[in-house]
Amino acid sequence: MKRSWKKLFTVAFSAGLMAGTLAACGGNDETGGEENNGGNNNAVNNGSDANNNADDNANANADAGGDGEVSGELEIQYFVGGYGDSWWKEVISDFQEQYPDVTIVEHAGPNINDEMRSRWVSDNPPDVVYIDGAGSSETQMVEDGQLMNLTEWLQEVETADGNMLADSFIVDPATYDGEIYSLPLVFDTWGTWYNRANFEEQGYEVPTGFDSWMSTMGEIQDNEGIAPFVTTGQHPYYFLRGVLTPAFGAAGGDELLADIVTGAEGVWERDEVVAQMEKVAEMQEAGYIYDGFGAYNHTQSQMNFLLGDHSFIPVGFWLPNEMANDVPDGFEFGFIPSPIQDEGEPYAIVPDLRPLAIAENAENPEAAKAFVQFVFTQEYATLFSEHTGAIMNLEGVDLSENENVPPYLIEANAMINDPDQVQIYHRPHPMSADLETPIGDALIALMLGNSSVEEFTERAEAATADYRGE
Amino acid sequence: MVQTKKQKYLFLAFCLVPTFILFAVFTLYPLISGLYYSFFSWSGSAANREFVGVSNYVRLFNDGIIPRTIMHDYFLVVTKVFGIMILSMYFAVAIMQMKLKEAPFYRIIFFFPNIMSVVVIGILWTFIYNPSLGLVNSALEAIGLENWTRPWLGSETWALPSLVLPSVWAGIGLFMLMLMGGIGTISKSYYEAAELDGASEWQQFWKVTVPLLWPQIKVSILYIVITTLNGSFIIVQIMTGGGPNNSTHVMGSYLYQQAFQQYNFGYGATIGVMILVISLLTVFILQKLLRREKVDY
Repeated sequence: MKRSWKKLFTVAFSAGLMAGTLAACGGNDETGGEENNGGNNNAVNNGSDANNNADDNANANADAGGDGEVSGELEIQYFVGGYGDSWWKEVISDFQEQYPDVTIVEHAGPNINDEMRSRWVSDNPPDVVYIDGAGSSETQMVEDGQLMNLTEWLQEVETADGNMLADSFIVDPATYDGEIYSLPLVFDTWGTWYNRANFEEQGYEVPTGFDSWMSTMGEIQDNEGIAPFVTTGQHPYYFLRGVLTPAFGAAGGDELLADIVTGAEGVWERDEVVAQMEKVAEMQEAGYIYDGFGAYNHTQSQMNFLLGDHSFIPVGFWLPNEMANDVPDGFEFGFIPSPIQDEGEPYAIVPDLRPLAIAENAENPEAAKAFVQFVFTQEYATLFSEHTGAIMNLEGVDLSENENVPPYLIEANAMINDPDQVQIYHRPHPMSADLETPIGDALIALMLGNSSVEEFTERAEAATADYRGE
Repeated sequence: MVQTKKQKYLFLAFCLVPTFILFAVFTLYPLISGLYYSFFSWSGSAANREFVGVSNYVRLFNDGIIPRTIMHDYFLVVTKVFGIMILSMYFAVAIMQMKLKEAPFYRIIFFFPNIMSVVVIGILWTFIYNPSLGLVNSALEAIGLENWTRPWLGSETWALPSLVLPSVWAGIGLFMLMLMGGIGTISKSYYEAAELDGASEWQQFWKVTVPLLWPQIKVSILYIVITTLNGSFIIVQIMTGGGPNNSTHVMGSYLYQQAFQQYNFGYGATIGVMILVISLLTVFILQKLLRREKVDY
């Protein structure tokens, strides 16, 4: 009797274990139905049925495929960071008006990339995704085959303004082996910010190249007793993208940038690259880089910059919008492309694009394409600048007379469009986190004065070798 | 009424099976799937993954950052065990045996950090260590030690030692309560007898309190070791993110970085398996080292 009970227990235990395992596996494969990942999942309803189920979707898709009508449920995932979400709300509600048969489900928020991860893992992604913010990586999504190949579609699609979409971008879409998987929506660019009011008051010269940058930093250091340059040490890519990438663009053009992001062998040993790293070492040795930056996260570094503890910070266009509530009286944002290029050369800018993409496994690709097409218009590009203080990646938008756009943006926009002042360089796609992280670590050691340029070069080369899988 | 055997076993099954099912779903399944994923190359954010055999383990042994993360973990283990045990023992003995009137007040004060989230503690101490606005540097300046001020968390040398203080501060309360409970069970007569024999208070502490308190001390040490190996991730992630230049990365924070920031989920799972093995080995060795004959006076 006793033995048989033992047996029964063993069987029960095993069954329990298996049931648990199967249940959890099943969760992975579950598709369709309503989604409940938390975050701001607002259904914008057209007045019919908000609880569209998978069957309705299938029918809607069949309709859309049949006569090209756009209907059914459209799921849009967008990250809400420094640019806020007011622009998105307006665009989505306009889209809803134009396509009343579409039920739009928004997945939005500052942590939306993490919140939606399980949907992507289970091959049940939203239809449209705006790729931005922590926890998202365009490169990774392309490598994982999660994004729809838009190369052919882009050749035939027109914007609502009647132009070919492919010819309307300021910066062309990123290509992966010649194929296009995402359309660059936000033209972000990293540059260096300063307090214009303070510069005018103290009579500091706004730097135009590396030499004048060094001399201005020297003057500030003597005058105010502060380390003039700060960045975040927790995210070394701020310096990498904000200062070094334009430096490499100015020194070696698009070709060098391509070799840097793809981890070409020996790229960090090239003379023009070593020369840029020497500049960083020079800044460190002069004590211009604040030695406490190592543990700062991006908010702390931005806060200390606003408080006047430092005079220069490399950040993207989102800075004024993100810190809008913390700007002290008398502070005025000034923006220049990071002045690290040799004196006499134009500033260099390498656009950092935040793209819009359609999921490879989108359930409603017709509506997704309609939405993407809908967004790229002059009207929404202007609106984007008004809402966010940044630029949308669409050509021919005139901001110069627009009163709703902040002055730094009008000035930056004019500067970017003047090839005598600013040269724009491009990289084929963003750098993979697997390459950016170890290079960032080596960079921090160099910027803290704990390693030499030679040691940095060695580590960076080792990182590229790892990345290439050698 | 006498229970039949069947009733007895039914009752046992009633108690055990639900618990076991929960244990299987929430502990065994993640454990096994962690082990399973460690054999795959998987970004963790897509459905497709590729079986790669033991190549994640090969990579683990060739990864130069891994030995540093293990060293950092053990640095925290050793400093926390000594820091927390010495201080919580001191406070427990002081509160229990010195017959302080304010004992309940101190008990609340010392236990207070335990009811705070570790995340809040991390953020709080980040401000305390802030190089320009923080309490630590301001205090050093106020007492004329300007030369000692430094960017604590931003320095490759000082960042890791700086994490010890908040970890110890946050841990004292719980273990102090545990030791106080233990001290409360020691009969006063032992101390009276020791005093009659002419033992000093110091001798009483070592000869009476410590041996009789040994079970609680042992449990406390094991608990600190396990929670540090598995949980120091939180304070590192909040305060330094593993930097600068990997100088504070512990195994857990490196796992997080690999799995969720570099999209190497399979490799992250491999690091997880390593943490499990190292934790088990450590606890096993500690069990042996801390074994004492049970003292009974």
